[in-house]
This record gives sequence, structure tokens and C-alpha cells, in this order.
Amino acid sequence: MNMTLKTVLLAGAVLALGSTTALASGGGGGGGGGGGSVSAPSESAPQYDPAAEYAKAVAAIKARQYKDAARAAQHVTDAVPKSPDAWRLLGAARAGDNDWKASRRAYERVVKLAPDDASAHAGLGVALANLKDPKAQGEVDWLKARLQACGDACPDAANLKALTGAVEGAVAGGPAAPKPSAALSGHMLFGGPKAGDAAYVQAVSLINQKRYDEALASLADAQAVFGPHPDILTYQGYTWRKKGDYARAEQYYKQALAIAPDHMGATEYYGELKVERGDLAGARKMLAKLDRICTFGCADEEELRRWIELGHEPQR
Amino acid sequence: MRWAPRDADPVATFARVPTECLAPPRDPASALSVEVGRAAFRTPVLLGGQAGRAGLTCETCHKAGRGNPSFLFPGVSGPPGTADVTDSLFSSHRGDGIDNPKPIPDLSAAKAKLKIAQAPAEHRLEPFIHGLITEEFDGPEPSKAVLAGLADYVRALNTAACPAAATEPVTVGYYLADARRALQAAKGEVAAGDAPTAILMIASARSRLGLIDERFAGPALSAERRQVRAADRRLAQAQDALRARHPDVPAALDAWLRDSRGLEARLAAKAPASLFDPRRLTQAARRRLPG
Ligand code: HEC
Repeated sequence: MNMTLKTVLLAGAVLALGSTTALASGGGGGGGGGGGSVSAPSESAPQYDPAAEYAKAVAAIKARQYKDAARAAQHVTDAVPKSPDAWRLLGAARAGDNDWKASRRAYERVVKLAPDDASAHAGLGVALANLKDPKAQGEVDWLKARLQACGDACPDAANLKALTGAVEGAVAGGPAAPKPSAALSGHMLFGGPKAGDAAYVQAVSLINQKRYDEALASLADAQAVFGPHPDILTYQGYTWRKKGDYARAEQYYKQALAIAPDHMGATEYYGELKVERGDLAGARKMLAKLDRICTFGCADEEELRRWIELGHEPQR
Repeated sequence: MRWAPRDADPVATFARVPTECLAPPRDPASALSVEVGRAAFRTPVLLGGQAGRAGLTCETCHKAGRGNPSFLFPGVSGPPGTADVTDSLFSSHRGDGIDNPKPIPDLSAAKAKLKIAQAPAEHRLEPFIHGLITEEFDGPEPSKAVLAGLADYVRALNTAACPAAATEPVTVGYYLADARRALQAAKGEVAAGDAPTAILMIASARSRLGLIDERFAGPALSAERRQVRAADRRLAQAQDALRARHPDVPAALDAWLRDSRGLEARLAAKAPASLFDPRRLTQAARRRLPG
């Protein structure tokens, strides 16, 4: 995001002037410890279609305009088919519209992409129950097992109990379905961009403190607000890389670059991942790309150059 | 033009800068060192890490070597004009988990008012700045010349050298003058055989071109932006040439310096249509998106 007009003050003005070139390199700065950028995602979200559509879908769900919500959410799943958040949102919108088949399909995608996602299991359970599919009980069981494993005192306990109750209610054929907004996380409903920014800034600090699991949780909170945003995806990739899961890290970098091909942070970190894997030729390609997209130079390019020269992470 | 509160006065914050209070030493070697520090002070590549990637420089906080009453960075600032330089947002070394934003000091204040003793014999300033770069900001190890230069630059800042006017307008010429000084410092370091420092000096000149470019926003000024970017490309090539140890870099820098006069004239002619114009800057700031 370097050297751009992506200032708090001028962000709006730039969009009005149509200087998207400057903005497009935006978001891409970021990431001493991490990946995206340290400026708030709420500032740069409008330039990325999927993030903007995601925000639209959240707003429409809150306004109970479920058809609009589904349309917007579908744009997000089209653009970023590997984003569990996007599918979860689509599942919620479809549920609001009482289109249980479509809701089930969306939630099935989430469960496939993120098998541990409790709210997706709950959403799927509710959809199955409304379709009178006995497999709904399986989701109740999954949630109960999860609650037991985590114990009454775990931070997630209240949420898991609420989710279990919602699915059980739907299985019992109780008062129709729970409000679809129940499927949205608290951050999405009550937080808005401010809470999303706070979660994001928090995540960057946690990454620098090497508290990676907590960082992933904060990033998930930020992502629930902003949807698939390249800065957040980049930091998710960075965190997984630091946890040693290179394959997963690569997936996140690729998602970030699919949304924002010239994202500086994602390009740099993907290059570093390639150095760590011994793929110096691949890393040099990323460096050449940074040289092209970093008009006026950038710290990202110099950092990756050091990695390549040394063949490993520079000592700090 | 970032990191200021939303309600900041755009003209005061972005159209004018405080004047620099610099008393350059007379002997050429010390003068070169001060210029090296001055340029390093003005590029995000020095800081690297989180801060550098975000485009932050020493000068973002210490504007023209002074303070910055409107500095605001989410998660790092308390009230505008303060910064918590021990925040883990920027550092994996010094994040202390304590929220302790401090006012950004004017580095050209009376030496007695500053916390860090500056006399070379005390050996305090260099270690302090080294810690800032490598620990507070997680940056790469600076070259010896750069570290010495930054300390010499800070030492050369002096209330007694403050010009009569407290502020001056930000213009194309203002940034290009910085770029030229950085390139003169680069030439000095090439002559001294210090390619890494010379490369950083060129990076500083490029950063200044970036600041010009961002104010030439909008479709009507795309021809000017192209010229700024072409000038930047030439400097990127000079950096590559230094990395490849080509001998012709000083000549290339001289040619660039000569051509920069024409560039300045062409850009200055169009500046009234750009965000260098205070009125346009204010309008642009007002047109910001709701929320
Ligand atoms: C994020 C804003 C920020 C940036 C960037 C920054 N500083 Fe500072 N600087 C501060 C603050 C705040 C203090 C005061 C710290 C304190 O009082 O403990 C300070 C203090 C100092 C001091 C000590 C002043 C004294 O009282 O003796 C020096 C010297 C200095 N900075 C130089 C630099 C240099 C050189 C750089 C670039 C490498 C830099 N600063 C980058 C915010 C910043």
C-alpha cells in the first residue's frame, strides 16, 4: 500500500478521482511480522469487489433482504470459491429466503473447506432439519461432541450451546427456523468495520508476538466482517507459514493474489515461501514482479531480495 | 499523505511542512555523512519490517526532523501527535504489551531538552538509533555509513539553524530538491566504494518521486505521472547497475540530475491542477467517502 493516497484523509477523494493505479498497489504494503498491510482494511475494502460484495451481503441480511443478500454473497463465492466465509454467508442468506436446498449446498461447501467450523455445522443442521433429512441429527451430535471436548468453561461454550439448541429446535420442528442472522458471527452483526479493523490490528500484533493461534482467531473475526480481503488472506497465509503448514499458506497467498494480483505483501510472502521450499527460481519471479509493481521502490522488494541472496530468512 | 485524523485540516497537515533546522558541518566528509543520514531518514526501505512495508519513514513522525502533531496510526498512536514505539504492531522484539504512546519529540529542539545525549564521546545516539531501526521497527541491519549518517544528521539538527518562517509549502521543487540531495549522497557513497549505502540513497530519491506521483492523481495528469514513473525507472536501473557492479553509475546519476530540471519545470507547470494546489487538496479531502 506504499506511497499511495490511501490515506485516511484522502481515500474517498482518490476513488472519486479514479486513480485506481495508486490504490491497487495499496493494501499490498504491510507485514513486518505479517503479510497484509497495517492500515485498516475498512479503508481499502471498497477497491476489492469481493470484499465490497461481502459487505453488501452482510448489510442485506441485517435488513432481511435475503434475495439481495444471496445475490451479493454469490458474487463473492464466484470470485473466491475457496472462501468458507463467503459460502457461510450464502448459506445464511439462502436460509433467510427459506431456500433450504441451496442453503444446505452452501453450508456443505463450508464444512468441506473448514471442517471445524461450528457455525457451518449448525447452519447445515438447520437446513437438513428443514428438509426433513435425518442427517440433521448428525450435526447435533457433532456440535455436542465439540462442546464436550471443549468443556463448559471454554470460551466457545456459550456459542456452541446456542448453536446446538438452534439445530435441535429445527429438528424438533419447532418454531420454523432460527433467524438466519444467528448464523452470522457476533463480529459481523455488532461490530461493523470498526471492530473488524480492531481485530485485524490485534492480529498483526499477535503475529509479531508469535501467538499464531490467537492471531488466526483474530483474523477470522476480521474476515467475518470484511469477507475475503487480500490483506487478511495474506496474513492468514503468513501465519500458517510460520506454523509450518506451507501448503495451507500457499492456498491463502493464492487466494489473496486471485483477488488482488498486484498485492505487494502477498507477492513478497509467496516469494519467501518459495525460498523456504528451496524454489529460488520461483522466488526470483516474485521478485521481478515486485520490481514491476513497486513503483518508487518498496520495503517488500528489498526484504525478498535479502531472502533470495541468503537462501533463507535473514537473521534478526 | 496519510496517518492523520479524519478531521485534520488538510492544508495545515499536507500542504505545508515545518521548515528544517539543519546546520550542516563544513568539512566535506562530515557534510556527506549528514546528507546520507538525511536521505536515509526519508525512505521506508531503511525501516523495512512492518513499518517500512506500510511506507513509514523516520520523517513520517519527525517531519523535516521535527515533530508531527497530527500523526495518527491505528493501534500505535494515542492522541494525534503521539506514538507508542514499543508497540508490537511494528515490532517482534519490543512489543511490551503496554499501551504507552509518547509525544513525538522535535529532534531540533534544544539539545538539553532531549533525552538521548548526542555528544559523540557518550556513544548513546548510535545505539539508540540502531535499536530503533532493528528492534522497534524490525528493520534490517543498517550499513555503518547509514547509522553514522543518521546520528550525524540528528546532531546537525539545531534550533539555532531554524529559518525565520516556521513552515513552508510542499511543492514539486521541495521533493525534487530532496531527491537530488539524496542522489548527490549516493554519488559520494559510490565514490567511497559503499554500494549498499548508495543503493539506499537512491531508494530515498525514489520515495520522494513517489510523493510527487501521489499528488498527481487523476486521469487528467496521467502524462505527468508517466514522466515521474520514467524518472523512477531510471533510478531503479541505477540501483540494479550498482548491484551488478557496473562502473557507469555516477554518469547515469549525473544525467538524471541534469534532466531533473526539465522534469521539475514541466511538473511545476501542471502543479496547479494537482494536489500540490492547496485548494484542490482541500476539495479532495472534503469529497471523501461518508463514514
Ligand atoms: C512511529 C513514529 C516514529 C518514527 C517512525 C520514528 N520515531 Fe523517533 N521518536 C518517536 C517518539 C514517540 C519518540 C519519543 C520516545 C520517548 O519519549 O520515549 C522518538 C524519539 C526519538 C529520538 C530521541 C529524542 C530525544 O529525546 O533524545 C531520536 C534521536 C529519534 N526518535 C530518531 C528517529 C529516527 C532516526 C527514526 C528513523 C529510524 C525515528 N526516530 C523514527 C516516534 C517515531
